[in-house]
Amino acid sequence: MALARVERVTYAYPGAAAALRDVSLAVDPGEVVLLLGASGSGKSTLLRALAGLVPHFHGGRFEGRVEVCGHDTRKVRPSELAGTVAMLFQDPEEQVVLTRVVREVAFGLENIGTPPREIVPRALDALRTVGARHLAERPVAELSGGELQRVCLASTLALQPELLLLDEPTSQLDPESAEGLLELAKSSGAAIVFSEQRPDRALDVATRVVFLESGRVVLDEPIDRARDLLAANRPTWVSQTNFATDCCRVGEASVCRFSDASFAYTAGSPVVDRFDLELRRGELVVLAGPNGSGKTTIAKLAAGLLHAQGGTVERHGRAALLLQDPGHYVIRDRVDEEVALGVGGDRSRARAALAAVGLAGLERRHPRDLSSGERERLALASVLVIEPDLLVLDEPTRGVDPERKQELATLLRNGAATRATLIVTHDRPFAAAVADRTVTLEKGLTLAEPAYA
Amino acid sequence: MRPVAAVALLGAAVAAALLARHTISVGMLAVALVLVCLRAPRSRRWPYLVGTTLSALALFVITPFVETIGSHPLWVGPIVPVLGQLDVTREELWSALFQACRLAAVGFAFAAYALLLDHDRLLSGAGIARRSVLAVALATRLVPTLERDAGGLVDSLRGRGVAVEGVRRRAALMSPLLAGSLERGLNLAEAMEVRGYGRSGRTRIPAPPWTPTDVAGLAVAALLVVAGVAWL
Repeated sequence: MALARVERVTYAYPGAAAALRDVSLAVDPGEVVLLLGASGSGKSTLLRALAGLVPHFHGGRFEGRVEVCGHDTRKVRPSELAGTVAMLFQDPEEQVVLTRVVREVAFGLENIGTPPREIVPRALDALRTVGARHLAERPVAELSGGELQRVCLASTLALQPELLLLDEPTSQLDPESAEGLLELAKSSGAAIVFSEQRPDRALDVATRVVFLESGRVVLDEPIDRARDLLAANRPTWVSQTNFATDCCRVGEASVCRFSDASFAYTAGSPVVDRFDLELRRGELVVLAGPNGSGKTTIAKLAAGLLHAQGGTVERHGRAALLLQDPGHYVIRDRVDEEVALGVGGDRSRARAALAAVGLAGLERRHPRDLSSGERERLALASVLVIEPDLLVLDEPTRGVDPERKQELATLLRNGAATRATLIVTHDRPFAAAVADRTVTLEKGLTLAEPAYA
Repeated sequence: MRPVAAVALLGAAVAAALLARHTISVGMLAVALVLVCLRAPRSRRWPYLVGTTLSALALFVITPFVETIGSHPLWVGPIVPVLGQLDVTREELWSALFQACRLAAVGFAFAAYALLLDHDRLLSGAGIARRSVLAVALATRLVPTLERDAGGLVDSLRGRGVAVEGVRRRAALMSPLLAGSLERGLNLAEAMEVRGYGRSGRTRIPAPPWTPTDVAGLAVAALLVVAGVAWL
């Protein structure tokens, strides 16, 4: 008997078009179901439907039926499903409630009425399972993004759910941490339904794939058959190394040069230590490395947002930096005004930049009314409009689906000749596809910086 | 030490500082509390320490000009409307030092409370309503989150070559900051609901048993108050 069953569900958020259209799905115990699909295709909404958050929390128009462990989600609130179902969201910052790690993990256990003497042992067991036992007494405010995501996973595993729902759980993690997190989730023994935008790793973990397009299920197959069908019909979802790009150019004039550059947020603990790098006009350089290796700090040094405390960072021309979080590009009330901020309010240039990223027609919308994928593109337009000599992009593919990544790669390559481009990314296939050369860091140490040909 | 005992100790230190009559006693209490605060991470403690020290210094400077006590003038100044004749006496200086030490002791005690205590355990242990516990915990997280969001908005502008200087430009960021905070609150509420918040029959982490250190902490707290009244 299926653990969870979705029967002909059609759902629309209040005042919006349908996010799910006639979706049917069954999840058996122990299955690991991977949800794929472009941004806005309905993956997160389907996960919320399985958790009962749709329609209870979000309202809207709901047709059909979702049954989880024998409970009809229309009749049972999400809080009543807690313990049977657990959900991990994309951004750990937006799901942490309490201030100490062990208390945070215990929060759900207290809510579901776990006998008091079992709460702490179960919380500590869950932390041990995810390799975070040593963090138990730490304040959550002092944890890194990767540590926080592990703590959030521990919070869900502590509930010992039968159905585990993961909404892009690895989007903020480096490849090694991401792989570890998915394996940990799988080892819990619960049935898992999860969405991912980096399918290469996720396909290795999944036993079944469901592909959504405009709210409809267009593929629902076991992993081997799904791989074949994706390879034939959606090749970028199986292998992202076939991006059409023109790599390995040799740069021209120097635009930015790091010479023995060092930077520390806390005295005595340098994040960047005697770093050397030259960026030339016409080339596209990828900066890779694990969480905490100083990539974002180097990006900010390159763009002039931070200043080297040792050595020098020279720049020739104008620099622009795209931050990781597109939620920071919501300062003005209209999309075109937001983009025009960087060019002194010139809306015609803003409109051209919006058209270049596929947002033509949305100029009058409020930035907060855009979907997550559209917000990513708005942020990109906000820096491209400047036409910088040095373009620095910090994790530009976070939360971006493979087809959009291909468009982004093409966009960056098409404009590469006019500027130097530095991309900070964990996304190895994307890096391999767009980079003229890759610089790999490990905790502030440069591992490999290929010389110019 | 459990948070309740630590709060009792800090409260007793504040009470002793307010009850004591000798400047040296209050000064020593303030120094002891600064040493306690130094256990907190440097990046977190400096706003509290600098803020309290500056406030105490300001009080020390202003008090002699607004108080009128003593008969040993050290300096006599002009007559100022409203304030009258400005002068500084030896007694006023001692009084100013005493008040400044008091303020410093109270400020450093609050800093130790804010920086070093586990507020989750303190409030749940005190048996206060769960909603209040959550409100305090979320408020505690709100400040650093807002700080980070504000930094992100400023960086997004600087990354586009837009300078963020002056009160007017910074004030313009308040609206997106507030909107972002509300959006974050909605996401947090969703995450809490899916973790069972609001369901009936909830339980609570059992409080750990009292240790000799906790009992000693309470005893020292009581002694401090008595000492403040009788000897300090």
